[in-house]
Amino acid sequence: MNRDIFPIKRILIAIFVISLIAFYLLPIAGMVNMALKPMEELQTSPSSIVKNPGLASFGVAWDKIGNNFVNSLQFTIPATIISVILGSMAGYVFSKIRFRGAGILFFVAVLALYIPPTSIIIPLTKFMSSIGLFNTTLGLVFVHVIFGMPITTLLFRNYYANIPDDLVESAKIAGCGTFDIYRRILLPLSVPGFVVVAIFQFTNIWNEYFIGVTLTMGEASQPVTVAVANLVGTTFVPWNIQMAGALIMAIPVIVVYIVLMKWVIRGLLAGAVTGQ
Amino acid sequence: MQKRPIILASFLLFGSFLSIILIYGMVGWDVAASFTKWTGKGLIGEFIGFGNYARWFTDGALNEVFWNTLKLLVIFLGGTVLIGLVCASLLNLGIKGGGALRMIYLIPLSISFVVSAAAWAWMFQPQHGIINSLLRGVNLGFLAQPWTASTSQSLICVAIAYIWQFSGFATLIYYTGLRSVPQELIESAEISGASTFQKYRHIYWPMQGTATISVLMVLLIYILRVFALPWLLTGGGPGFSSEVLPLYLYRVTFHRLYFGYGASIGVLIFIISIALALPILYRTLVRRGS
Repeated sequence: MNRDIFPIKRILIAIFVISLIAFYLLPIAGMVNMALKPMEELQTSPSSIVKNPGLASFGVAWDKIGNNFVNSLQFTIPATIISVILGSMAGYVFSKIRFRGAGILFFVAVLALYIPPTSIIIPLTKFMSSIGLFNTTLGLVFVHVIFGMPITTLLFRNYYANIPDDLVESAKIAGCGTFDIYRRILLPLSVPGFVVVAIFQFTNIWNEYFIGVTLTMGEASQPVTVAVANLVGTTFVPWNIQMAGALIMAIPVIVVYIVLMKWVIRGLLAGAVTGQ
Repeated sequence: MQKRPIILASFLLFGSFLSIILIYGMVGWDVAASFTKWTGKGLIGEFIGFGNYARWFTDGALNEVFWNTLKLLVIFLGGTVLIGLVCASLLNLGIKGGGALRMIYLIPLSISFVVSAAAWAWMFQPQHGIINSLLRGVNLGFLAQPWTASTSQSLICVAIAYIWQFSGFATLIYYTGLRSVPQELIESAEISGASTFQKYRHIYWPMQGTATISVLMVLLIYILRVFALPWLLTGGGPGFSSEVLPLYLYRVTFHRLYFGYGASIGVLIFIISIALALPILYRTLVRRGS
């Protein structure tokens, strides 16, 4: 602690830090508090701290969204795996193979990250129905892989850029081909990269709402985000059920983040230092 | 370079090619559709020239929605960068409670906009919501606000929820940036008698240019994709007070079935996105990369 901070400043800073912590925690604490509230308590004292906490609302919410939770797993897991594999191959090419136009191609590939799905959703819905992938699990996997490519490519390129070129050069001299270098040298060194990018893609795809709501139709095939949004968006679903539903959906990713915090931070830093 | 590695490289780039062709192809399709009158039947409408674009200038709602979008963008980027920098500086000072802050500040980043919309809807709920209840609880009830129910505050509410989700990320990047400031610089400033604030004002903060660009690049990706949070938190309302371009596109296209006009709004979103992304991306990828 620096000595030149006077007590008054210290108190002000303490107040500030406490309000920051409250700012981050209150919305989540409020959700948990609400979700634990039994029906009677919700009606008599909606805003107070829960007195008789119970898990009843989680059961009710699960009945409404459980099916969609499974839907989300069904496209999130394959889409994550495929986009991580394709991203790693592309990242290898862009970091270790020199060819004419590589710079421009990479630029175009990454610029796609800044084309929001909302801006091209009209042709996309038409395209998906015309190839018969509208409202299908396969269709969601396909679209999430396509929109995931720019970021997985970028993350893997940054990751492989840290692996010394000398290693690749000496393998080439030893007679390794392009694919062998990838398989025998880069892949074994890629495990941390795969973990980081997979966490990132899993949370992105799991949390995604807009593509889910436009490319699916009907409760049976909607992702969990859309099902929870339907709970939140109506006035006749009580608050405690809405919050329980939202928490059921959030808990898997919050757990992943807290347990794998070290990896998450690595991934966020890797994604942020784009130019290196 | 021989022929084979190039063929192999193209095979390895299969995913990238597919993504580039599809995403940019959809942009082309959307531009084409923006010149048509289209009710959603078939793959494209009937050519009408610049009709949809002419309509931009007579559509009062679009005008309001356009400025809302830019306002949200500026408040979100400014607020997130500011809070991130302040939090990171506090962590860097080694203040008490920093550990607690570091445990929790990334949690909002992990959750879906759908979940944060639910959480903040309850925070801002005017009658029984958390903020107003707390204010009443400490006898500051006169400070209670209508929040999302008010035309002047609803867009700010959306921005606050966004800042809540991303300021932890900005903190992380700035914290790393502050830690990488050479210790000698700080020591020599201390020798010449600089106060803590002066050290930050003159050494730490001016050296955060790269960190700021990194933060902005990531924040831009997410704010350009804005949809679920305002859609579920305020529904764009009251009136059009918190409506942003993607919401308006969705309404015009899928509720009112003006597909051609919707496509032209898609073009507008595309232009704004590229105009913001190009300079920053060019700077990081092309100039520094080569």
